[in-house]
Amino acid sequence: MTSSPWGSDSGAAVSVASLSKRFPNGTLALDDVSFDVPEGQVLALIGLSGSGKSTLLRILNGLHRPTGGTARVLGVEVGGARGAQLRDVRRHVGFVFQQFGLVGRATCMENVLMGTLGRVRGPRLGVRTYPVALRREALDQLERVGLASAAFQRADTLSGGQMQRVAIARSLMQHPALLLADEPVASLDPESSAQVLELIGRIAREDSRTVICTLHQVELALGWSDRIVGLQAGRLVLDRPATELSLDSVMEVYRRTGGEAPVETPQLQTA
Amino acid sequence: MTAIVGGAPARIAPPVQGRQVVLTVIATAFLGGFAWSWLSLDMSLLSFFSGLGDVRSLVGRMLPPDFSDWRNVLSATLETLWMALIGTFVSAVVCVPLAFGAARNTTPHPAVRLVCRGFISLTRAVPEIILAALFVFVLSIGPLPGVLAIAIHSIGMIGKLFADAIEQAQPTPKEAVLSVGARRFQTTISSILPQALPSMIATAMYRLEINIRASSVLGLVGAGGIGFVIQGALRSLDYQAALAAVSMVFVLVTMIELLSSRVRQSLLGENTNILAVRRESAWSRRMVMRDAALNRGAAEEKRLSPPWTSERLLRSGSAVIAAIFIVVAFILVDMPLLGALPKYPDLVRVLGDLFPPDFSTARDELIKGMRESVQIAFVATGLGLFVAFPLAVLASRNIVVRRAVVLGTRIVLLLLRGIPELIVAVIFVSAMGLGPVPGTLALTIVTATFAAKLFADALEEVDPSPREALIAVGASRKQEFVSAVLPQALPAILGQVLYVLDVNLRSSTVLGIVGGGGIGFLLLGSMRVLEYETTGAIVISIFVIVYAIELVGSLVRRLLR
Repeated sequence: MTSSPWGSDSGAAVSVASLSKRFPNGTLALDDVSFDVPEGQVLALIGLSGSGKSTLLRILNGLHRPTGGTARVLGVEVGGARGAQLRDVRRHVGFVFQQFGLVGRATCMENVLMGTLGRVRGPRLGVRTYPVALRREALDQLERVGLASAAFQRADTLSGGQMQRVAIARSLMQHPALLLADEPVASLDPESSAQVLELIGRIAREDSRTVICTLHQVELALGWSDRIVGLQAGRLVLDRPATELSLDSVMEVYRRTGGEAPVETPQLQTA
Repeated sequence: MTAIVGGAPARIAPPVQGRQVVLTVIATAFLGGFAWSWLSLDMSLLSFFSGLGDVRSLVGRMLPPDFSDWRNVLSATLETLWMALIGTFVSAVVCVPLAFGAARNTTPHPAVRLVCRGFISLTRAVPEIILAALFVFVLSIGPLPGVLAIAIHSIGMIGKLFADAIEQAQPTPKEAVLSVGARRFQTTISSILPQALPSMIATAMYRLEINIRASSVLGLVGAGGIGFVIQGALRSLDYQAALAAVSMVFVLVTMIELLSSRVRQSLLGENTNILAVRRESAWSRRMVMRDAALNRGAAEEKRLSPPWTSERLLRSGSAVIAAIFIVVAFILVDMPLLGALPKYPDLVRVLGDLFPPDFSTARDELIKGMRESVQIAFVATGLGLFVAFPLAVLASRNIVVRRAVVLGTRIVLLLLRGIPELIVAVIFVSAMGLGPVPGTLALTIVTATFAAKLFADALEEVDPSPREALIAVGASRKQEFVSAVLPQALPAILGQVLYVLDVNLRSSTVLGIVGGGGIGFLLLGSMRVLEYETTGAIVISIFVIVYAIELVGSLVRRLLR
């Protein structure tokens, strides 16, 4: 295991120790992974598809349960959390999905309002079932992601990049102490990708939120994050501050550990 | 593929596959069944044409329709509508929790799913007219037994399609809402319900269309609605009054069908605005643009509620109108829903009396009746398909170039479908006398129009690019039809053939209720003399046969995929 420069437990938003996950079909998705993420850090999790990045993120939000080790998120051990306790953690953890997770038939505003469902009680259907104060806040969040004018438009009328920005606005409604983003730009064109990553980075800096974002393109991670953690076949193979790394040095790490570099451009694969 | 070089002679015919063998066996069985049925029902083209002659002379005596008793006819027609509305509404309400329990992605527990699924498919086992006849004995004559029969029988289809709609909801919004810390119930309401709702409403509308037909025949067993009036008029040989009542059924069925197909089109289309239906008119385009402007304006003014766009007005307006209709239906139908509460245990008891089924008392009649029903279904399906196919080709927009021909055929099909089969059967029986021939003839006509519509839809769905390719190499229109259109449409059409047979089997078991031959006669008779164990035996026999055909149908569909 690569030792982490941020060793101490104090002030860690996320603390993962000897984490393993084996799926019922026998696949070992995570194999003895340990690292800590201090508050306010922007961490890029890189690796090929199937390397365990998504599984790790989903464990941090309680969408999967680990089969070994511990995962503490905001001071709570999520592996053992259930019911109200798990919902309480989720309430403070934003999650941005590759496929956005928007209800296409609902308006953008309603989709953003769904971010408050951990706080408000009872079932909600339609914008007007949410309190006025929350609606006002939803408009502000939409404004922040640059989509205020689309508030009453159906979400499925938007482009991919716009949808992802609405999804980010939805997680902002949670006032998340931690933002998890699972391949937020993998379904987007290069221009929208840049916009969405810039938005996540800006939010992280302005509100000093902790961000863990999985990316499979190393180039995107390098200029953007504070720290890069690399997974390969479920094992942690790289953990460095982003400033210490260049594209070549990432390749080097992957080569040293005997695997392919997590870069999907043909030119680099043959290098 | 590894090529065989030299040696073995090149194959110039594809190898025979197992599934081809199975399909051939099934096709042969179908043709064999048709031939056997044709011979044993003592059918001949002569009896058919003389039968049609009888029907023509009866129709002559029916003209012109006599609307002098219009108050009675109108109130019976409205009662038919109200019964269908209430039955569909009650069924849909019951189906919402059932479907959420039966859908894989929302069920609280796999065991709950199994129970819900089982209950849903069980409700379909008994045709509504038989349920109605049973209930009439407990609740006495009137619309209540009819409404209950419709409500119970509809659960089978509505529950199944609701559950399918829920299962088709994308999983990512559900995960996204769960990930913010919402409860399961909140998640289902906010992320799954909006996805499933349009399809659920469309299902309810479609079932309403079917139930209008059902409720217009339930009167034949005394369960309220216009069927009672039709039968009364025919019995007193007042054919002109009968035609007046039949024409009201026709108007009602056709109206509801047009409304339902319009609503379903706008709900299920790809459009993100329900105003933009299939063919965009200048008007609908203008409305869609106006809506977009309203939405933008409201957002810029920082309003906190969505603006009243035309789409929202239409949606809310339709909901209000539907609600008014349902309330009116409950008020106007002379139906002691709550007053009959003490009798509900009796309903359960009657259903319980069907057990244990008694197969021995009326053994010979049971076998004979079942055999006749199966034969009627085979003949009606075979003959009906024979007529349906050319009609379907004429009704396909992408095959027949002349729009007038397509439109004309479609209109004729729509009009012919406007009269439910049992009513056609009642008319034929009074023209030709009791027996399987009038029943078969009625079912044949209904099959032809029903199947023609299904086939035409299948033909219109074929991918146009292979057709263009064939035309590009110089194929004639006939060659192009045989080589490019048929192979593409055939799997769907063959699947529908079995579906039609399945539907006809259900229908042929109740034809006997109006004297159209088959097991229905014994079924009604056994109820009249309160031999419920025999009724139970018949119901189980029907269920077994229909279920067997359903199994064959799903096998064929799997093989054709």
